[in-house]
Amino acid sequence: MLKFVIRRLTFSIPVLLGILIVTFTLARAIPGDPCLAVLGERATPEICETFFRRNGLDQPAPIQLLIYMRNFAQGDLGESMRFHRPVMELLVERLPTTVELGAFALLFAISVGVPLGVLSAYRHKSALDVGTMIGANIGVSMPVFWLGLMLAYLFAVLLKDTPFALPPSGRLTPGANPDPFYIVAGWIAEGAEPPGLLRFISRINTLNAILTLNWELLIDALRHLILPAVAVGTIPLAIIARMSRSSVLEVLNQDYVRTARAKGLREREVVGKHALKNAMLPVITVIGLNFGLVISGAVLTETIFSLTGVGRTLVDSITSRDYTLVQGFTVVIAAGFVLINMVVDILYGYLDPRIRFN
Amino acid sequence: MATTRPAALQPESAYRSPNLWLEALRNLRHSPSALLGMIIIGALVIIAIAAPIFATHDPIKTMIGVPGETGRLPSKPPCIPILGCEEPQHILGLDLNARDLYSRVIYGTRTSLSVGVITISLSIIAGTTLGLIAGYAGGTADNAIMRLMDVILAFPALLLAISIVTILGPGLTNALLGITITFIPQYARLSRASVLSIKEQEFVVAEQALGANPLRIMLAHILPNAITPIIVQGTLGVGTAILDAAALSFLGLGAQPPTPEWGQILSESRNYLFTSPHLVFFPGIAIMITVLGFNLLGDGMRDALDPRLNRN
Repeated sequence: MLKFVIRRLTFSIPVLLGILIVTFTLARAIPGDPCLAVLGERATPEICETFFRRNGLDQPAPIQLLIYMRNFAQGDLGESMRFHRPVMELLVERLPTTVELGAFALLFAISVGVPLGVLSAYRHKSALDVGTMIGANIGVSMPVFWLGLMLAYLFAVLLKDTPFALPPSGRLTPGANPDPFYIVAGWIAEGAEPPGLLRFISRINTLNAILTLNWELLIDALRHLILPAVAVGTIPLAIIARMSRSSVLEVLNQDYVRTARAKGLREREVVGKHALKNAMLPVITVIGLNFGLVISGAVLTETIFSLTGVGRTLVDSITSRDYTLVQGFTVVIAAGFVLINMVVDILYGYLDPRIRFN
Repeated sequence: MATTRPAALQPESAYRSPNLWLEALRNLRHSPSALLGMIIIGALVIIAIAAPIFATHDPIKTMIGVPGETGRLPSKPPCIPILGCEEPQHILGLDLNARDLYSRVIYGTRTSLSVGVITISLSIIAGTTLGLIAGYAGGTADNAIMRLMDVILAFPALLLAISIVTILGPGLTNALLGITITFIPQYARLSRASVLSIKEQEFVVAEQALGANPLRIMLAHILPNAITPIIVQGTLGVGTAILDAAALSFLGLGAQPPTPEWGQILSESRNYLFTSPHLVFFPGIAIMITVLGFNLLGDGMRDALDPRLNRN
């Protein structure tokens, strides 16, 4: 197993290097002068020269790339040209929004999609099966941004003043400014600079609410999360439901399932212990692959629900030619994507020994 | 003891169809989802070709100051004749610039269908070529091509498309190119996998032994045997490409106003969601139906063309 993990890890290194080079090149290829874009009317030739020197843009591109790689290895993503703050700091501030949104979207997709798929396979050709498949087909065909807008209209306008009303924007009720858990717990004095990891965790509102036992905050955060998470999670849900269904259908026809039944095992054990375990392998792969969809969905959904996450910041920064931020955020997202695929592969190898030895 | 004689074999034509495609077409006829998909796509193609006949108005003409027009803007409650409101001129009402929404949605069919089909055709051509070369040549070429594909796949598709369009500049053509690039790796991987499995088969080895030109082997022998999964994947891909193009237009990077494109119409009217939701509703439904059509046909084709499924 260890050998397999190491082999898989070494496979990821060239891809990561490739990502660094491609992102670097893409960011340089964005047309327009970054100095003009950032400084606007203040951009005189002298000021621009200083600007280029300070941001390392006066060096030849290959040197810039090498410096960039060295800094990246040290966890330094440079300073955003637009916000004049380290990209890492912006990431700590904004990534939690996207991580929380993505996690809830996937949670929604898995917790609804897998049972639906398994049930429709088990009751093959029943009304539930046909209904699920029609729903899944419609689900994968919907534009995320349209679904988001429609959900916002339904729950914030049509159902306004009913118990089902949900807020269409933001992460918390305006004015709510919850204390981070490390201050509530007295770990760090107010005003002191806490480590990035603690700030990152405290910005995941639901997690912070649980850690501070603030249930009102938790409910508020969840209410704000429902609509965007459903919008982002719908396409993955449909894909996961279809995959679980076809995978369970295939397994249910296998000889070992018949053998298990012939042995007189209870149906619950046949399905739970024999069929599901094997049927879940392809489903896990599909869940891993859906990470990309979740990120794409987050870019669009954050724009609709006014969430200052990674996706929205990235799109804004592309238009304002903030090289360092675009580079930093894209690299982190792509690296996260590679990492998740790697974890899925390793998990797959763990669950299915045939893959490990091939 | 009676001797049992084996039953006479039926002629081969009775259990084997002469042509995979004919068989597939026969299977497609029996698949309700493929039929529905074909009907939807057929209807959309007719609408796209005959858009001037279906549309009631010029899709980019503003109706302000036009004789006989009320100039009702959507800030007023939506007035939609098919929902029982009497205003016969505009079936879905007017948009924010007082243009006929129905005609804009009708003309949008042209944009979306062509974007979907062109993107996928381009990425199939590029991806299949790369995959064929990688699979047939092997070695360094294979490694270089496939690692590049891995890197492209490492980026979430929409994000990569956004970056590419930003570099090339917003616009429909560039959006099309951006989406094309994100789709190439799928087809490269598919065709490479097919080549690898076909390359070792006897008919190819025989051809090689006869000294045939590699290009001829690839095009005449390997490609026809590798094309089925690519076509299925392509049909499913058209839907995704249409969704991506709409998303880019929604972000302001695709089709530019006043071009009637569904994503762009949505983007224009999204700030008026709470007062005139119908402006957002109809273009979205149009996107959904189109994508659904391609997905249904793709699913049906996969079932029809996959010989493994036919055995049951």
